Amino acid sequence: MTRSGSSWLRGLSWVIMTVGALVMVYPYLYMVGASFKTRREFSEDKRSLVPPRYQIQERLKHIRGETSAVDAPGADWPLFKNYVDAVRYGKVDRFLGNSALYACVITLVQMFFNVLAAYAFARMDFKGKDVLFGILLSTMMLPPAVLLIPRFLVLSRMGLVDTTWGVFIPSFSGPFGIFLLRQFFLNIPEDLEHAARIDGCASWGILWNVVLPLSKSALITLGLFTFMGAWNMFEWPLVVLSNQDYYPLTVGLSFFQSETRADWPRIFAATVMGSAPLIVLFLAAQRHLVGGISLSGMKT
Amino acid sequence: MAGGQRRNKVLRKNGRSFLYAAWTPYLYIAPALALTVLFSLVSMAISLYVSFHHYDAFAGKSELIGLDNYRRALFSQDSYFPLALKNTTLYVFLSVAGVLTLSLPLALLCNQIRKGQSLFRTLYFLPSITPGVVVALVFFHLFGVWGQLLDHRSTALVALVILGLWSGAGYNMVLFLAGLNEIPGHYYDAAKVDGANEVQQFRHITFPLLRNTLVFVTVMTVIGAYQVFTSVYIMSQGGPERSTEVVAYTIFINAFAVAGQMGYASALAWLLFLAVLVFVIVQMKVFRSRKLYD
Repeated sequence: MTRSGSSWLRGLSWVIMTVGALVMVYPYLYMVGASFKTRREFSEDKRSLVPPRYQIQERLKHIRGETSAVDAPGADWPLFKNYVDAVRYGKVDRFLGNSALYACVITLVQMFFNVLAAYAFARMDFKGKDVLFGILLSTMMLPPAVLLIPRFLVLSRMGLVDTTWGVFIPSFSGPFGIFLLRQFFLNIPEDLEHAARIDGCASWGILWNVVLPLSKSALITLGLFTFMGAWNMFEWPLVVLSNQDYYPLTVGLSFFQSETRADWPRIFAATVMGSAPLIVLFLAAQRHLVGGISLSGMKT
Repeated sequence: MAGGQRRNKVLRKNGRSFLYAAWTPYLYIAPALALTVLFSLVSMAISLYVSFHHYDAFAGKSELIGLDNYRRALFSQDSYFPLALKNTTLYVFLSVAGVLTLSLPLALLCNQIRKGQSLFRTLYFLPSITPGVVVALVFFHLFGVWGQLLDHRSTALVALVILGLWSGAGYNMVLFLAGLNEIPGHYYDAAKVDGANEVQQFRHITFPLLRNTLVFVTVMTVIGAYQVFTSVYIMSQGGPERSTEVVAYTIFINAFAVAGQMGYASALAWLLFLAVLVFVIVQMKVFRSRKLYD
Protein backbone atom coordinates (compact mmCIF):
# COMPACT_ATOMS: atom_id res chain seq x y z
CA MET A 1 0.00 0.00 0.00
CA THR A 2 1.60 3.20 -1.09
CA ARG A 3 1.02 6.76 -0.14
CA SER A 4 -0.60 7.34 -3.51
CA GLY A 5 -3.29 4.72 -2.93
CA SER A 6 -6.62 4.96 -4.69
CA SER A 7 -9.02 7.67 -3.60
CA TRP A 8 -11.64 5.32 -2.13
CA LEU A 9 -8.92 3.86 0.05
CA ARG A 10 -7.99 7.32 1.24
CA GLY A 11 -11.62 8.10 1.98
CA LEU A 12 -12.01 4.88 3.94
CA SER A 13 -8.82 5.69 5.85
CA TRP A 14 -10.25 9.06 6.80
CA VAL A 15 -13.47 7.53 8.09
CA ILE A 16 -11.76 4.82 10.15
CA MET A 17 -9.10 7.14 11.52
CA THR A 18 -11.77 9.64 12.55
CA VAL A 19 -13.75 6.97 14.38
CA GLY A 20 -10.51 5.87 16.06
CA ALA A 21 -9.74 9.44 17.04
CA LEU A 22 -13.12 9.69 18.75
CA VAL A 23 -12.32 6.51 20.69
CA MET A 24 -9.03 8.09 21.73
CA VAL A 25 -10.58 11.37 22.83
CA TYR A 26 -13.75 10.02 24.48
CA PRO A 27 -12.16 9.05 27.85
CA TYR A 28 -10.74 12.57 28.14
CA LEU A 29 -14.15 14.13 27.50
CA TYR A 30 -15.65 11.74 30.03
CA MET A 31 -13.03 12.70 32.61
CA VAL A 32 -13.50 16.43 32.13
CA GLY A 33 -17.31 16.09 32.14
CA ALA A 34 -17.32 14.03 35.31
CA SER A 35 -15.04 16.54 37.04
CA PHE A 36 -17.83 19.15 36.81
CA LYS A 37 -20.62 16.91 38.12
CA THR A 38 -21.94 16.94 41.65
CA ARG A 39 -21.60 13.70 43.59
CA ARG A 40 -25.30 13.11 43.19
CA GLU A 41 -25.20 13.71 39.44
CA PHE A 42 -22.28 11.35 39.06
CA SER A 43 -23.84 8.53 41.05
CA GLU A 44 -27.17 8.84 39.24
CA ASP A 45 -25.85 9.34 35.75
CA LYS A 46 -22.46 7.85 34.96
CA ARG A 47 -22.91 7.97 31.18
CA SER A 48 -23.43 11.58 30.19
CA LEU A 49 -20.48 13.73 29.22
CA VAL A 50 -22.13 17.02 30.17
CA PRO A 51 -23.27 17.36 33.81
CA PRO A 52 -27.11 17.13 33.82
CA ARG A 53 -27.56 20.62 35.27
CA TYR A 54 -25.78 22.07 32.23
CA GLN A 55 -27.60 19.98 29.60
CA ILE A 56 -29.77 21.95 27.19
CA GLN A 57 -32.89 19.79 27.57
CA GLU A 58 -32.70 20.11 31.37
CA ARG A 59 -32.35 23.87 31.01
CA LEU A 60 -35.39 23.95 28.73
CA LYS A 61 -37.35 21.88 31.24
CA HIS A 62 -36.34 24.38 33.90
CA ILE A 63 -37.55 27.28 31.79
CA ARG A 64 -40.87 25.50 31.17
CA GLY A 65 -41.21 25.08 34.92
CA GLU A 66 -40.92 21.28 34.93
CA THR A 67 -38.79 19.37 37.42
CA SER A 68 -35.26 19.27 36.06
CA ALA A 69 -31.73 18.54 37.11
CA VAL A 70 -31.20 22.27 37.43
CA ASP A 71 -33.43 22.25 40.52
CA ALA A 72 -32.11 18.99 42.00
CA PRO A 73 -30.64 19.22 45.49
CA GLY A 74 -27.03 20.31 45.27
CA ALA A 75 -27.37 21.67 41.74
CA ASP A 76 -26.21 25.06 42.93
CA TRP A 77 -22.75 23.46 43.09
CA PRO A 78 -20.39 26.06 41.58
CA LEU A 79 -18.72 25.05 38.32
CA PHE A 80 -15.18 24.72 39.61
CA LYS A 81 -16.04 23.60 43.13
CA ASN A 82 -14.55 20.12 42.65
CA TYR A 83 -11.26 21.65 41.53
CA VAL A 84 -11.21 24.03 44.47
CA ASP A 85 -12.04 21.21 46.87
CA ALA A 86 -9.43 18.91 45.37
CA VAL A 87 -6.82 21.53 46.23
CA ARG A 88 -8.34 22.54 49.56
CA TYR A 89 -9.07 19.12 51.02
CA GLY A 90 -7.14 16.75 48.80
CA LYS A 91 -3.69 18.39 48.87
CA VAL A 92 -3.63 18.24 45.07
CA ASP A 93 -1.53 21.39 44.89
CA ARG A 94 1.02 19.72 47.14
CA PHE A 95 1.04 16.53 45.01
CA LEU A 96 1.35 18.55 41.81
CA GLY A 97 4.25 20.48 43.30
CA ASN A 98 5.94 17.23 44.28
CA SER A 99 5.42 15.77 40.81
CA ALA A 100 6.87 18.89 39.22
CA LEU A 101 9.85 18.84 41.58
CA TYR A 102 10.55 15.14 40.97
CA ALA A 103 10.16 15.47 37.21
CA CYS A 104 12.36 18.59 36.93
CA VAL A 105 15.18 17.40 39.17
CA ILE A 106 15.23 13.87 37.72
CA THR A 107 15.27 15.22 34.17
CA LEU A 108 18.05 17.75 34.79
CA VAL A 109 20.34 15.46 36.76
CA GLN A 110 19.77 12.41 34.59
CA MET A 111 20.39 14.43 31.43
CA PHE A 112 23.57 15.92 32.88
CA PHE A 113 24.98 12.51 33.81
CA ASN A 114 23.91 11.04 30.48
CA VAL A 115 25.48 13.83 28.44
CA LEU A 116 28.82 13.36 30.21
CA ALA A 117 28.82 9.59 29.80
CA ALA A 118 27.58 9.67 26.22
CA TYR A 119 30.26 12.16 25.24
CA ALA A 120 33.00 10.04 26.79
CA PHE A 121 31.72 6.93 25.01
CA ALA A 122 31.38 8.77 21.70
CA ARG A 123 34.59 10.78 21.57
CA MET A 124 37.19 9.48 24.01
CA ASP A 125 39.42 6.44 24.07
CA PHE A 126 39.99 4.62 27.32
CA LYS A 127 40.63 1.17 28.65
CA GLY A 128 37.55 -0.97 29.13
CA LYS A 129 35.36 1.35 27.05
CA ASP A 130 33.58 -1.41 25.16
CA VAL A 131 33.04 -3.56 28.25
CA LEU A 132 31.65 -0.65 30.26
CA PHE A 133 29.36 0.39 27.45
CA GLY A 134 28.17 -3.20 27.13
CA ILE A 135 27.38 -3.28 30.84
CA LEU A 136 25.31 -0.10 30.52
CA LEU A 137 23.45 -1.45 27.51
CA SER A 138 22.69 -4.79 29.12
CA THR A 139 21.00 -3.10 32.08
CA MET A 140 18.40 -1.63 29.71
CA MET A 141 16.89 -5.10 29.42
CA LEU A 142 16.33 -5.58 33.16
CA PRO A 143 12.63 -5.38 34.05
CA PRO A 144 11.82 -2.73 36.68
CA ALA A 145 9.54 -5.22 38.43
CA VAL A 146 12.59 -7.31 39.32
CA LEU A 147 14.58 -4.29 40.50
CA LEU A 148 11.83 -2.99 42.76
CA ILE A 149 12.65 -5.06 45.86
CA PRO A 150 16.47 -4.84 45.80
CA ARG A 151 16.37 -1.10 45.11
CA PHE A 152 14.11 -0.73 48.12
CA LEU A 153 16.55 -2.79 50.21
CA VAL A 154 19.55 -0.72 49.05
CA LEU A 155 17.78 2.53 49.87
CA SER A 156 16.58 1.31 53.22
CA ARG A 157 20.20 0.37 54.04
CA MET A 158 21.16 3.93 53.06
CA GLY A 159 18.37 5.24 55.30
CA LEU A 160 16.63 6.94 52.39
CA VAL A 161 13.28 5.16 52.44
CA ASP A 162 10.42 7.65 52.77
CA THR A 163 12.55 10.61 51.72
CA THR A 164 12.65 12.74 48.60
CA TRP A 165 16.13 11.36 47.90
CA GLY A 166 14.71 7.87 47.88
CA VAL A 167 12.57 8.86 44.91
CA PHE A 168 15.39 10.74 43.19
CA ILE A 169 18.50 8.62 43.38
CA PRO A 170 17.56 5.44 41.49
CA SER A 171 15.77 7.59 38.90
CA PHE A 172 18.96 9.50 38.09
CA SER A 173 20.23 6.55 36.07
CA GLY A 174 18.95 6.22 32.52
CA PRO A 175 21.10 4.00 30.31
CA PHE A 176 18.77 4.45 27.37
CA GLY A 177 19.54 8.16 27.24
CA ILE A 178 23.28 7.44 27.19
CA PHE A 179 22.78 5.07 24.28
CA LEU A 180 20.69 7.59 22.36
CA LEU A 181 22.92 10.61 22.96
CA ARG A 182 26.03 8.62 22.07
CA GLN A 183 24.47 7.74 18.71
CA PHE A 184 23.67 11.38 18.17
CA PHE A 185 27.13 12.64 19.16
CA LEU A 186 28.75 10.11 16.81
CA ASN A 187 26.89 11.69 13.91
CA ILE A 188 28.21 15.18 14.61
CA PRO A 189 31.10 15.95 12.22
CA GLU A 190 34.34 15.81 14.13
CA ASP A 191 35.83 18.66 12.09
CA LEU A 192 33.84 21.15 14.12
CA GLU A 193 35.44 19.85 17.26
CA HIS A 194 38.88 20.00 15.69
CA ALA A 195 38.36 23.69 15.03
CA ALA A 196 37.41 24.28 18.64
CA ARG A 197 40.41 22.27 19.76
CA ILE A 198 42.72 24.47 17.68
CA ASP A 199 41.16 27.46 19.39
CA GLY A 200 42.34 25.94 22.65
CA CYS A 201 39.21 24.29 23.96
CA ALA A 202 39.61 21.27 26.22
CA SER A 203 37.09 18.42 26.14
CA TRP A 204 34.80 20.12 28.67
CA GLY A 205 34.68 23.31 26.62
CA ILE A 206 34.13 21.40 23.38
CA LEU A 207 31.25 19.50 24.92
CA TRP A 208 29.48 22.60 26.22
CA ASN A 209 30.31 25.07 23.45
CA VAL A 210 30.29 22.90 20.34
CA VAL A 211 28.61 19.54 20.82
CA LEU A 212 25.60 20.45 22.97
CA PRO A 213 24.43 23.43 20.89
CA LEU A 214 24.47 21.10 17.88
CA SER A 215 22.44 18.47 19.73
CA LYS A 216 19.51 20.66 20.68
CA SER A 217 16.84 18.53 19.01
CA ALA A 218 18.08 15.28 20.56
CA LEU A 219 18.36 16.93 23.97
CA ILE A 220 14.85 18.36 23.78
CA THR A 221 13.35 15.02 22.72
CA LEU A 222 15.18 13.06 25.37
CA GLY A 223 14.48 15.70 28.00
CA LEU A 224 10.76 15.67 27.31
CA PHE A 225 10.57 11.90 27.42
CA THR A 226 12.54 11.77 30.64
CA PHE A 227 10.26 14.42 32.11
CA MET A 228 7.13 12.54 31.12
CA GLY A 229 8.48 9.27 32.44
CA ALA A 230 9.30 10.92 35.76
CA TRP A 231 5.92 12.67 35.94
CA ASN A 232 4.06 9.42 35.26
CA MET A 233 6.09 7.12 37.51
CA PHE A 234 3.94 5.29 39.98
CA GLU A 235 5.20 1.99 41.34
CA TRP A 236 8.54 3.23 42.66
CA PRO A 237 7.23 6.23 44.67
CA LEU A 238 4.36 4.03 45.85
CA VAL A 239 6.90 1.60 47.29
CA VAL A 240 9.46 4.00 48.69
CA LEU A 241 7.20 6.68 50.20
CA SER A 242 4.77 6.44 53.07
CA ASN A 243 4.59 10.09 54.14
CA GLN A 244 1.72 11.69 52.21
CA ASP A 245 3.54 15.03 52.06
CA TYR A 246 6.07 13.53 49.63
CA TYR A 247 3.57 11.84 47.29
CA PRO A 248 3.65 12.68 43.61
CA LEU A 249 0.23 13.14 42.03
CA THR A 250 0.06 9.57 40.68
CA VAL A 251 0.39 8.03 44.14
CA GLY A 252 -1.87 10.68 45.68
CA LEU A 253 -4.62 9.83 43.18
CA SER A 254 -4.42 6.12 43.97
CA PHE A 255 -4.94 6.95 47.63
CA PHE A 256 -7.99 9.12 46.99
CA GLN A 257 -9.51 6.16 45.22
CA SER A 258 -8.84 3.75 48.05
CA GLU A 259 -10.71 5.95 50.53
CA THR A 260 -13.95 4.30 51.55
CA ARG A 261 -16.22 7.10 50.42
CA ALA A 262 -14.34 8.14 47.34
CA ASP A 263 -15.55 11.49 46.02
CA TRP A 264 -15.30 10.66 42.32
CA PRO A 265 -16.03 14.05 40.74
CA ARG A 266 -13.34 15.52 42.97
CA ILE A 267 -10.95 12.71 41.97
CA PHE A 268 -11.66 13.45 38.32
CA ALA A 269 -10.93 17.12 38.93
CA ALA A 270 -7.57 16.00 40.32
CA THR A 271 -6.90 13.72 37.34
CA VAL A 272 -7.59 16.61 34.97
CA MET A 273 -5.12 18.77 36.87
CA GLY A 274 -2.63 15.91 36.86
CA SER A 275 -2.74 15.20 33.15
CA ALA A 276 -3.24 18.71 31.78
CA PRO A 277 0.35 19.94 32.35
CA LEU A 278 1.78 17.08 30.31
CA ILE A 279 -0.75 17.49 27.52
CA VAL A 280 0.02 21.20 27.28
CA LEU A 281 3.75 20.43 27.26
CA PHE A 282 3.19 17.79 24.60
CA LEU A 283 1.17 20.06 22.33
CA ALA A 284 3.79 22.76 22.68
CA ALA A 285 6.63 20.42 21.77
CA GLN A 286 4.97 17.70 19.71
CA ARG A 287 7.05 18.36 16.62
CA HIS A 288 10.11 17.23 18.56
CA LEU A 289 8.35 14.35 20.23
CA VAL A 290 6.63 12.49 17.43
CA GLY A 291 9.68 12.97 15.21
CA GLY A 292 11.83 11.87 18.12
CA ILE A 293 10.24 8.52 18.79
CA SER A 294 10.29 7.80 15.09
CA LEU A 295 14.05 8.00 15.37
CA SER A 296 14.57 6.26 18.62
CA GLY A 297 11.55 4.23 19.71
CA MET A 298 11.52 5.93 23.06
CA LYS A 299 8.93 4.97 25.59
CA THR A 300 7.62 7.12 28.34
CA MET B 1 41.84 6.20 38.52
CA ALA B 2 44.58 6.16 41.15
CA GLY B 3 47.09 5.04 38.54
CA GLY B 4 46.11 7.95 36.37
CA GLN B 5 47.16 10.51 38.98
CA ARG B 6 50.74 10.58 37.85
CA ARG B 7 49.74 11.17 34.25
CA ASN B 8 47.47 13.89 35.43
CA LYS B 9 49.44 16.69 33.88
CA VAL B 10 50.41 14.78 30.76
CA LEU B 11 47.63 15.63 28.40
CA ARG B 12 47.26 12.76 26.05
CA LYS B 13 47.10 13.39 22.36
CA ASN B 14 45.25 10.50 20.86
CA GLY B 15 44.59 9.67 17.21
CA ARG B 16 41.67 12.04 17.12
CA SER B 17 43.80 14.85 18.53
CA PHE B 18 41.68 15.83 21.49
CA LEU B 19 43.32 16.92 24.66
CA TYR B 20 42.34 15.23 27.88
CA ALA B 21 43.99 13.55 30.78
CA ALA B 22 43.95 9.76 30.96
CA TRP B 23 41.47 9.73 33.83
CA THR B 24 39.08 12.27 32.31
CA PRO B 25 36.88 9.73 30.49
CA TYR B 26 36.39 7.79 33.70
CA LEU B 27 35.35 10.98 35.46
CA TYR B 28 32.79 11.61 32.72
CA ILE B 29 31.20 8.18 32.94
CA ALA B 30 31.55 7.77 36.72
CA PRO B 31 28.16 9.14 37.90
CA ALA B 32 26.07 7.30 35.31
CA LEU B 33 28.06 4.09 35.66
CA ALA B 34 28.00 4.11 39.46
CA LEU B 35 24.22 4.55 39.55
CA THR B 36 23.61 1.91 36.92
CA VAL B 37 25.89 -0.60 38.57
CA LEU B 38 24.39 -0.03 42.01
CA PHE B 39 20.74 0.12 41.02
CA SER B 40 20.82 -2.50 38.29
CA LEU B 41 23.63 -5.00 38.57
CA VAL B 42 24.24 -4.95 42.32
CA SER B 43 20.48 -4.85 42.79
CA MET B 44 20.02 -7.95 40.66
CA ALA B 45 22.65 -9.72 42.76
CA ILE B 46 20.95 -8.64 45.98
CA SER B 47 17.64 -9.83 44.62
CA LEU B 48 19.12 -13.25 43.85
CA TYR B 49 20.73 -13.43 47.30
CA VAL B 50 17.51 -12.48 49.05
CA SER B 51 15.54 -15.00 47.00
CA PHE B 52 17.47 -17.82 48.73
CA HIS B 53 16.50 -16.49 52.15
CA HIS B 54 13.52 -16.19 54.33
CA TYR B 55 13.79 -12.44 54.55
CA ASP B 56 11.92 -10.03 56.76
CA ALA B 57 12.95 -6.48 55.91
CA PHE B 58 10.85 -4.99 58.68
CA ALA B 59 12.28 -7.18 61.42
CA GLY B 60 15.71 -7.23 59.75
CA LYS B 61 15.85 -11.03 60.02
CA SER B 62 17.11 -13.31 57.32
CA GLU B 63 17.64 -17.04 57.21
CA LEU B 64 19.15 -19.12 54.41
CA ILE B 65 16.60 -21.57 53.05
CA GLY B 66 18.10 -22.45 49.66
CA LEU B 67 15.60 -23.04 46.91
CA ASP B 68 12.58 -23.24 49.20
CA ASN B 69 11.13 -19.95 47.98
CA TYR B 70 11.29 -21.16 44.38
CA ARG B 71 9.83 -24.54 45.31
CA ARG B 72 7.02 -22.86 47.18
CA ALA B 73 6.31 -20.49 44.28
CA LEU B 74 6.17 -23.24 41.69
CA PHE B 75 4.76 -26.28 43.46
CA SER B 76 3.04 -25.28 46.69
CA GLN B 77 -0.73 -25.75 46.83
CA ASP B 78 -1.36 -22.25 48.16
CA SER B 79 0.90 -20.54 45.63
CA TYR B 80 -0.73 -18.11 43.25
CA PHE B 81 2.35 -17.88 41.07
CA PRO B 82 1.38 -20.50 38.45
CA LEU B 83 -2.02 -18.87 38.11
CA ALA B 84 -0.47 -15.39 37.99
CA LEU B 85 2.03 -16.49 35.35
CA LYS B 86 -0.78 -18.05 33.30
CA ASN B 87 -2.87 -14.86 33.54
CA THR B 88 0.13 -12.70 32.70
CA THR B 89 1.07 -14.83 29.70
CA LEU B 90 -2.51 -14.67 28.43
CA TYR B 91 -2.41 -10.91 28.88
CA VAL B 92 0.87 -10.76 26.93
CA PHE B 93 -0.51 -12.86 24.05
CA LEU B 94 -3.69 -10.83 23.82
CA SER B 95 -1.70 -7.59 23.96
CA VAL B 96 0.67 -8.63 21.17
CA ALA B 97 -2.22 -9.87 19.04
CA GLY B 98 -4.08 -6.64 19.71
CA VAL B 99 -1.13 -4.44 18.84
CA LEU B 100 -0.54 -6.29 15.56
CA THR B 101 -4.20 -6.24 14.53
CA LEU B 102 -4.80 -2.67 15.69
CA SER B 103 -1.69 -0.48 15.57
CA LEU B 104 -0.32 -1.89 12.32
CA PRO B 105 -3.58 -1.39 10.34
CA LEU B 106 -3.93 2.05 11.93
CA ALA B 107 -0.45 2.94 10.72
CA LEU B 108 -1.25 1.69 7.20
CA LEU B 109 -4.44 3.76 7.15
CA CYS B 110 -2.76 6.81 8.66
CA ASN B 111 -0.06 6.52 6.02
CA GLN B 112 -2.73 6.94 3.32
CA ILE B 113 -3.70 10.28 4.72
CA ARG B 114 -1.69 13.31 3.78
CA LYS B 115 -3.69 16.25 5.00
CA GLY B 116 -4.37 15.97 8.70
CA GLN B 117 -1.98 13.10 9.37
CA SER B 118 -0.23 15.05 12.10
CA LEU B 119 -3.55 15.84 13.77
CA PHE B 120 -4.40 12.13 13.93
CA ARG B 121 -0.95 11.28 15.23
CA THR B 122 -1.33 13.89 17.97
CA LEU B 123 -4.75 12.63 19.06
CA TYR B 124 -3.72 8.97 19.02
CA PHE B 125 -0.59 9.80 20.96
CA LEU B 126 -2.35 11.52 23.87
CA PRO B 127 -2.75 8.34 26.01
CA SER B 128 1.02 7.77 25.88
CA ILE B 129 1.59 10.99 27.78
CA THR B 130 -1.20 10.52 30.30
CA PRO B 131 -0.27 8.97 33.65
CA GLY B 132 -1.26 5.30 33.83
CA VAL B 133 -3.03 5.98 37.12
CA VAL B 134 -5.28 8.58 35.47
CA VAL B 135 -6.10 6.27 32.57
CA ALA B 136 -6.91 3.43 34.96
CA LEU B 137 -9.20 5.62 37.10
CA VAL B 138 -11.17 6.79 34.06
CA PHE B 139 -11.48 3.33 32.53
CA PHE B 140 -12.52 1.94 35.90
CA HIS B 141 -15.76 3.87 35.37
CA LEU B 142 -15.99 3.44 31.62
CA PHE B 143 -15.81 -0.35 32.01
CA GLY B 144 -18.59 -0.07 34.58
CA VAL B 145 -20.75 1.93 32.17
CA TRP B 146 -20.06 -0.51 29.31
CA GLY B 147 -21.38 -3.57 31.11
CA GLN B 148 -19.42 -4.31 34.26
CA LEU B 149 -16.46 -5.75 32.36
CA LEU B 150 -14.35 -5.69 35.50
CA ASP B 151 -16.93 -7.54 37.60
CA HIS B 152 -16.80 -10.86 35.78
CA ARG B 153 -13.93 -13.27 35.88
CA SER B 154 -14.33 -14.06 32.18
CA THR B 155 -13.99 -10.44 31.03
CA ALA B 156 -11.83 -8.68 33.61
CA LEU B 157 -8.50 -9.62 32.03
CA VAL B 158 -9.81 -8.68 28.58
CA ALA B 159 -10.81 -5.29 29.99
CA LEU B 160 -7.23 -4.79 31.17
CA VAL B 161 -5.96 -5.72 27.70
CA ILE B 162 -8.35 -3.20 26.12
CA LEU B 163 -7.00 -0.49 28.41
CA GLY B 164 -3.43 -1.44 27.48
CA LEU B 165 -4.23 -1.37 23.78
CA TRP B 166 -5.96 1.98 24.02
CA SER B 167 -2.94 3.39 25.88
CA GLY B 168 -0.35 2.03 23.49
CA ALA B 169 -2.16 2.23 20.13
CA GLY B 170 -0.86 5.65 19.14
CA TYR B 171 2.66 5.05 20.32
CA ASN B 172 2.95 1.81 18.37
CA MET B 173 1.26 3.41 15.38
CA VAL B 174 3.92 6.11 15.29
CA LEU B 175 6.63 3.44 15.40
CA PHE B 176 5.02 1.56 12.50
CA LEU B 177 4.63 4.82 10.56
CA ALA B 178 8.34 5.45 10.97
CA GLY B 179 9.03 1.94 9.67
CA LEU B 180 6.72 2.49 6.69
CA ASN B 181 8.46 5.74 5.79
CA GLU B 182 11.79 3.95 5.57
CA ILE B 183 10.58 1.69 2.75
CA PRO B 184 11.85 3.16 -0.53
CA GLY B 185 9.01 4.35 -2.73
CA HIS B 186 10.48 2.90 -5.93
CA TYR B 187 9.76 -0.64 -4.69
CA TYR B 188 6.09 0.15 -4.99
CA ASP B 189 6.57 1.80 -8.36
CA ALA B 190 8.28 -1.34 -9.64
CA ALA B 191 5.52 -3.54 -8.19
CA LYS B 192 2.87 -1.43 -9.90
CA VAL B 193 4.65 -1.71 -13.23
CA ASP B 194 4.50 -5.48 -12.73
CA GLY B 195 0.75 -5.17 -12.09
CA ALA B 196 0.73 -5.98 -8.37
CA ASN B 197 -2.43 -4.90 -6.58
CA GLU B 198 -2.44 -3.30 -3.15
CA VAL B 199 -2.83 -6.55 -1.23
CA GLN B 200 0.07 -8.08 -3.13
CA GLN B 201 2.16 -4.98 -2.49
CA PHE B 202 1.49 -5.30 1.22
CA ARG B 203 2.32 -9.01 1.26
CA HIS B 204 5.50 -8.84 -0.75
CA ILE B 205 6.93 -5.40 0.04
CA THR B 206 5.46 -3.72 3.10
CA PHE B 207 5.22 -6.68 5.45
CA PRO B 208 8.70 -8.17 4.83
CA LEU B 209 10.42 -4.79 4.91
CA LEU B 210 8.65 -3.85 8.10
CA ARG B 211 10.19 -6.81 9.89
CA ASN B 212 12.62 -4.83 12.05
CA THR B 213 9.84 -2.59 13.29
CA LEU B 214 7.63 -5.62 13.91
CA VAL B 215 10.33 -7.29 15.98
CA PHE B 216 10.96 -4.12 17.96
CA VAL B 217 7.29 -3.43 18.66
CA THR B 218 6.46 -7.00 19.66
CA VAL B 219 9.51 -7.35 21.91
CA MET B 220 8.74 -4.04 23.63
CA THR B 221 5.09 -5.03 23.99
CA VAL B 222 6.04 -8.38 25.52
CA ILE B 223 8.47 -6.84 28.00
CA GLY B 224 5.97 -4.15 28.97
CA ALA B 225 2.96 -6.47 29.17
CA TYR B 226 4.74 -8.99 31.37
CA GLN B 227 5.11 -6.25 33.97
CA VAL B 228 1.56 -4.91 33.89
CA PHE B 229 0.89 -3.47 37.32
CA THR B 230 -0.75 -0.03 37.52
CA SER B 231 -4.05 -0.97 35.89
CA VAL B 232 -4.38 -4.08 38.07
CA TYR B 233 -3.49 -2.17 41.23
CA ILE B 234 -6.01 0.59 40.52
CA MET B 235 -8.86 -1.27 38.85
CA SER B 236 -9.10 -4.89 39.94
CA GLN B 237 -6.59 -5.74 42.71
CA GLY B 238 -6.22 -9.14 41.09
CA GLY B 239 -9.92 -9.96 41.23
CA PRO B 240 -12.59 -11.03 40.65
CA GLU B 241 -11.71 -14.53 41.86
CA ARG B 242 -8.03 -13.89 41.02
CA SER B 243 -8.79 -13.73 37.32
CA THR B 244 -6.51 -10.69 36.99
CA GLU B 245 -3.84 -11.85 39.42
CA VAL B 246 -0.68 -10.96 37.47
CA VAL B 247 2.92 -11.59 38.49
CA ALA B 248 3.98 -7.97 39.08
CA TYR B 249 0.98 -7.51 41.36
CA THR B 250 1.70 -10.74 43.26
CA ILE B 251 5.31 -9.60 43.74
CA PHE B 252 4.22 -6.20 45.01
CA ILE B 253 1.70 -7.59 47.47
CA ASN B 254 4.09 -10.22 48.84
CA ALA B 255 7.01 -7.82 49.16
CA PHE B 256 5.31 -4.71 50.50
CA ALA B 257 1.94 -5.67 51.92
CA VAL B 258 2.69 -8.98 53.67
CA ALA B 259 5.41 -8.92 56.29
CA GLY B 260 8.37 -11.23 55.94
CA GLN B 261 7.79 -12.27 52.34
CA MET B 262 10.57 -10.32 50.63
CA GLY B 263 12.62 -13.43 49.94
CA TYR B 264 9.63 -15.17 48.46
CA ALA B 265 8.72 -12.10 46.40
CA SER B 266 12.32 -11.89 45.13
CA ALA B 267 12.09 -15.51 43.96
CA LEU B 268 8.88 -14.59 42.12
CA ALA B 269 10.66 -11.62 40.55
CA TRP B 270 13.47 -13.85 39.29
CA LEU B 271 11.00 -16.36 37.88
CA LEU B 272 9.28 -13.48 36.08
CA PHE B 273 12.61 -12.29 34.72
CA LEU B 274 13.40 -15.77 33.41
CA ALA B 275 9.97 -16.05 31.81
CA VAL B 276 10.43 -12.74 30.00
CA LEU B 277 13.93 -13.73 28.94
CA VAL B 278 12.80 -17.07 27.49
CA PHE B 279 9.90 -15.43 25.71
CA VAL B 280 12.06 -12.71 24.17
CA ILE B 281 14.79 -15.16 23.10
CA VAL B 282 12.27 -17.48 21.45
CA GLN B 283 10.70 -14.49 19.75
CA MET B 284 14.03 -13.25 18.40
CA LYS B 285 14.85 -16.74 17.10
CA VAL B 286 11.51 -17.05 15.34
CA PHE B 287 11.88 -13.70 13.65
CA ARG B 288 15.54 -14.17 12.81
CA SER B 289 15.10 -17.58 11.21
CA ARG B 290 13.00 -16.02 8.48
CA LYS B 291 15.37 -14.10 6.32
CA LEU B 292 13.55 -12.35 3.55
CA TYR B 293 14.93 -9.82 1.11
CA ASP B 294 18.20 -9.50 3.01
